[in-house]
Amino acid sequence: MNTSQVEKNNKELILNVLTTSLTGASLGLLYAYGLEFRMLIGVLGGAGFGAALGFRITRKPPRMRYPLYMLRRVLLAATFMLLASMLYSYLLDQGISQSQRYWISILPLFGWGAVVYTIGLAIASLDELQRRIQTEAIAIGFAISAIFVGGYALFQFAGLPDINLGLALLVMSGAWLIGKLWTLWRYR
Amino acid sequence: MKNRLKVLRAERNWSQADLAEALDVSRQTVNAIENGKYDPSLPLAFKMAGLFELAIEEIFFPEEGYA
Repeated sequence: MNTSQVEKNNKELILNVLTTSLTGASLGLLYAYGLEFRMLIGVLGGAGFGAALGFRITRKPPRMRYPLYMLRRVLLAATFMLLASMLYSYLLDQGISQSQRYWISILPLFGWGAVVYTIGLAIASLDELQRRIQTEAIAIGFAISAIFVGGYALFQFAGLPDINLGLALLVMSGAWLIGKLWTLWRYR
Repeated sequence: MKNRLKVLRAERNWSQADLAEALDVSRQTVNAIENGKYDPSLPLAFKMAGLFELAIEEIFFPEEGYA
């Protein structure tokens, strides 16, 4: 292995460990906040676990269709989304005025925007077949979600209780996964 | 559309990963093209033709009944 390759591998290792530590620390913080134990333990524990995972996946990369730098981008965006959502819940508990609560409700949207932007970048870097697979998966996911959400609306008019709107996101994610698995199988 | 990609690749002792890297696509894409599950775009077909130093019609040919 030549010098530039060694430097590249070291840089990759540092970036992976930093990214996974940050994600781990954020998850640890979230657990500490939710389960009410010391936040420092959550952050350090999460960061330590994340760093170990980052080290492991760099030394022995998992078999993936996508390069690690793309995984890093998605992890960073997801971490940002997590922190923005956490800040949102924290601030809502602080006894603020109604108008301030409305403004704070915008906070998680920045996180979601970051995730959508990263997914856009990831799609742009795919080759032609992978793009087709993603497009078909999204189309199938959209159709399934429309049937479920629209179908439930009909039941709601007939008397079933209202459900949390966030559940629609869960249905969309599940439907997308079904679409993705179907198209992967089709072009296997 | 049928193709001779697998044969051409084997003649050169290339793995699917080698071919994918040369074409700047994923191994999954090479596999799908070889198995006839996916027809490549014209730019990708030209890239393949250039790589194997053949004409496109020497690599790809239509299914029977479509010629």
